[in-house]
Amino acid sequence: MANSALAAAEGGHPGAGEGAQAPVGSVVIVGGGTAGWMTAAALANRLAGLPVTITLVESDEIGTVGVGEATVPHIRFFNARLGIDEADFMRRTNATFKLGIEFVNWGRKGDSYIHPFGAHGEPIEGVAFHHIWARYRRAGGTEPIEAFSLPVLAARENRFAHPAPDPASLLSTYSYAYQFDAALYAAYLRSYAEKRGVRRIEGRVIAVDQDGESGQVRRLTLDDGREIGGELFVDCSGFRGLLIEQTLKTGYADWSHWLPCNRAVAVPCASAGPLSPYTRATALDAGWQWRIPLQHRTGNGHVYCSSYISDEAAAETLLARLDGAPQAEPRFLRFLTGKRHRQWNRNVVAIGLSAGFLEPLESTSIHLIQLGIGFLMDLFPTREWDPMLAREYNRLMDLEYERVRDFLILHYHATERADTPFWNYVRTMRVPDSLAERMTAFRERGIVVNYRDGMFLDASWVAVYAGQGIVPRRSDPRAEGLSDAGLFIKLASLREDYARMAGELPQQARFLEMIGARMDMRAPEGVA
Amino acid sequence: MAAFGSGAFGALPRSGPAERVAISGGGLCGWLAACLLARHLPHLRIVVHPASADEETRPDRSLGVPLAAEVLLPGDLEHIAAAGLRGGDLIRHCRGSFMLGTALTGWRAAGGPAFVPFGEIGAPLGPVPFHQIVAAARARGHDVNMANYALGALCAQTGRFAPPRSDDASVLSTLSFGLAVESDALRRLLRDDALAHGVQHGEAVADPASLCAAADLVIDARGAPEAWSENGGEQGGEDWSALMPFDRALVAKRAEPGTPPPPPPPYAHLSALAEGWQGFVPLAGAMTETLVFAAAAPPAEVTGALPEAHRLAPGRSAAAWQGAIVRMGAAAQQHDPVAGLQLHLALADVVRLIALFPANADCAVEAAEYNRQWRERSDCAFDYTVLRLARNGAKGAVWDRLRAAALPHRTAYRHDLYAANGRIALHDGEVFETPGWVMQFEALGIRPRRPDALAMTVPDMAITAHFEAIRKAMLAGVAKLPPHGAVLAEVCA
Repeated sequence: MANSALAAAEGGHPGAGEGAQAPVGSVVIVGGGTAGWMTAAALANRLAGLPVTITLVESDEIGTVGVGEATVPHIRFFNARLGIDEADFMRRTNATFKLGIEFVNWGRKGDSYIHPFGAHGEPIEGVAFHHIWARYRRAGGTEPIEAFSLPVLAARENRFAHPAPDPASLLSTYSYAYQFDAALYAAYLRSYAEKRGVRRIEGRVIAVDQDGESGQVRRLTLDDGREIGGELFVDCSGFRGLLIEQTLKTGYADWSHWLPCNRAVAVPCASAGPLSPYTRATALDAGWQWRIPLQHRTGNGHVYCSSYISDEAAAETLLARLDGAPQAEPRFLRFLTGKRHRQWNRNVVAIGLSAGFLEPLESTSIHLIQLGIGFLMDLFPTREWDPMLAREYNRLMDLEYERVRDFLILHYHATERADTPFWNYVRTMRVPDSLAERMTAFRERGIVVNYRDGMFLDASWVAVYAGQGIVPRRSDPRAEGLSDAGLFIKLASLREDYARMAGELPQQARFLEMIGARMDMRAPEGVA
Repeated sequence: MAAFGSGAFGALPRSGPAERVAISGGGLCGWLAACLLARHLPHLRIVVHPASADEETRPDRSLGVPLAAEVLLPGDLEHIAAAGLRGGDLIRHCRGSFMLGTALTGWRAAGGPAFVPFGEIGAPLGPVPFHQIVAAARARGHDVNMANYALGALCAQTGRFAPPRSDDASVLSTLSFGLAVESDALRRLLRDDALAHGVQHGEAVADPASLCAAADLVIDARGAPEAWSENGGEQGGEDWSALMPFDRALVAKRAEPGTPPPPPPPYAHLSALAEGWQGFVPLAGAMTETLVFAAAAPPAEVTGALPEAHRLAPGRSAAAWQGAIVRMGAAAQQHDPVAGLQLHLALADVVRLIALFPANADCAVEAAEYNRQWRERSDCAFDYTVLRLARNGAKGAVWDRLRAAALPHRTAYRHDLYAANGRIALHDGEVFETPGWVMQFEALGIRPRRPDALAMTVPDMAITAHFEAIRKAMLAGVAKLPPHGAVLAEVCA
């Protein structure tokens, strides 16, 4: 890649600018979880030609949350930019491939659908497939929309292969992500970052000094008395927001009236059955359960709302629903869904849980970290601290958070469930106007409101709408004009093509072996 | 959002798919809508009603200023092709000429003419966008003309151009082009095509609302109203005259001398004058000219021609689609045509209506989404146009006043962000992507105060090598191209 060539280029930093025009010369990252080490690795890679020191302060005493073991396809670009080899990375993080997320019991009890990383069907005469499908359903067709998705059919049979590069092939109609051990991923990136000059300091921050005039953070004091000065501080300290909130009092937008789950309990268990290339999210009485299959174990958790279920009951429910024997004591987490009013405030940029929290229903946590890092790179500050940089950063991150938020709310709100007080609340609550308008547009006319920024594209919205029982009441008039007979023949043949292609893919476990990504069961955990 | 189906705009009379479409106004906008609707939605019964009995003899204001030539942007040509119309027919019948961009003279305080090409500029270097690489090179004291790294600009300079072949893997495959067409010839072409696809002529009707009785959907394509605030009694129309102060336009077309006439240059030309601006769009064998100014302070040389000048009233209505009436083109919004977007905006309206064509008499959902998209596109065109008019380096009292004027928040933000670090803030509904915005800022003399930090990580030698490699590949590509005139002649042969 060109950027590694740049990173390797010798010869100092010609004209990197003087004084106020120069990029900041020292970055201090507070916190070493997934967010901290992703930030450190990306900065070390992309700022390789600049005279910048990167320091990461973390304490082994403070546990990391290890957010989201499941990811979305964008992670591959992050890894590729760092020059990470896929098979090596998968071996070391016990990773599996991921083709999507299965949602069980969301629209109705007994329902199951997969939100795949890929589109359903193909446009017919310029008309989007979901119009064709809606027309087919109204004409009496019974197949769910996922019958026309290669990644869904493959996932249901635990099959996987890399997508084909040839756009004419049906095998190019999907993308993929990973499910991995987030602690091992952080360790993997730590080793990467330290090799590239990131300085890691072990210690707990006990005091933060601010500039009297500008309010900027100047210095951290650690428990052993050491002082760490810096120009740009990246707050990856997790929920508490050591710098962004405890020091700068930035404030937080509370979205818990739309996404009322506020706790989680997590426990890993032994694997059982074939390795599934998808994450499962099962709706429960007062929240939902995640199941993330890794190569060596399965990650599980129960996300719930404490107003409707006690911690004990939540843990019991989870333990009763595991595939295999639990491998640790259940661990409890508390959170408040929402986001920091300004994720970049003064000289502090909050990345990860310090920036905001959106439950991991759509595996967005790591992606939001990645976006924050990308925007920080694009808007990397100089010593003059032009206020436009923070404004643009906050504008972009606000858009992303709000759009993910709406997409998550959709899962709760587009339901017929009325079997518990929790579901009665989310089914009947008033949702943001931005979402209400979108849902109406799809329900009435199959319109998928499109936007430029925001990680979930048309295909994702269609998957969840259709998966949760919203069939548009009317379609594009061009789809209405198709004959029933022609429609049924066309869709039957499409379905056969997808099923045949999916059946030809290898089992995921076999594919991991084929590409040398199968973990070595004898190796100790951790990164060599 | 205004109430739908309210009495003022007429509720749709029946349930079931909308099939009867009445178009009010037989100008370019009306026939564009008729032609594309008929081709995409053959089940419709479409009737075009002139806005007055003598409409044919009046200037066609349906897109805004009745320009002698209009421009289709690169993306527009895809919509034209998707409808089954052939670019070759447009060239043959509408004196068409390929467009690679616009040359701007007098828009920046220093630095001479600038060229704003369609398409990409240069190529990114790893993760760093090209324009940030240029900013870094300039910060290190190099003098860089960005247009030297745009294929469209090189073609325009050399007069060489041919549409890229689909199997071409060279740098030429990135060439992005539009088309200039004679407005009236395009109107006739679309009309004839629409009639051949079953569209019918109707009687002249002055008030589109009166068409609601006999149609499921009415398209108002009559052009801009007298004043936006009193547009059919609607509330919330916007008057843009504070930031688009020119209210008169003179248009002309003259045949190019010579037998055969010289081939048209593949670009438009836009000059800032002390009292307004002057635009030239070439056609095959002809040059069209537009002069835009304020009636209160016209250029001395046009005072005699003032009575012939067309009125220009920038602004827009509160919502384009209300009840069963969709206002399209200048009936919904009118911008100063300095950015050359009149035909683009009308075409976008038609394409949007096709995608959202109501499947039912109750079309509130379609209207809401149409209006949202229409407003977004309108906002983006507004920002692009206003920044060209109000943040340039042109000389003259009117420009001084415009530069002193406060801009709406979003418009100002785009400028301030670019001026800070060269980032382009993109929104939903953009007409132009990052390169189009960057080249506009360049042409206006606006440069980032400091380069991007990542760009500064690139060593000087790597930048120089990158520039040379791009330039070499582009010049080699351009050298293989035939003269623009020869390609046009071939299409017309």
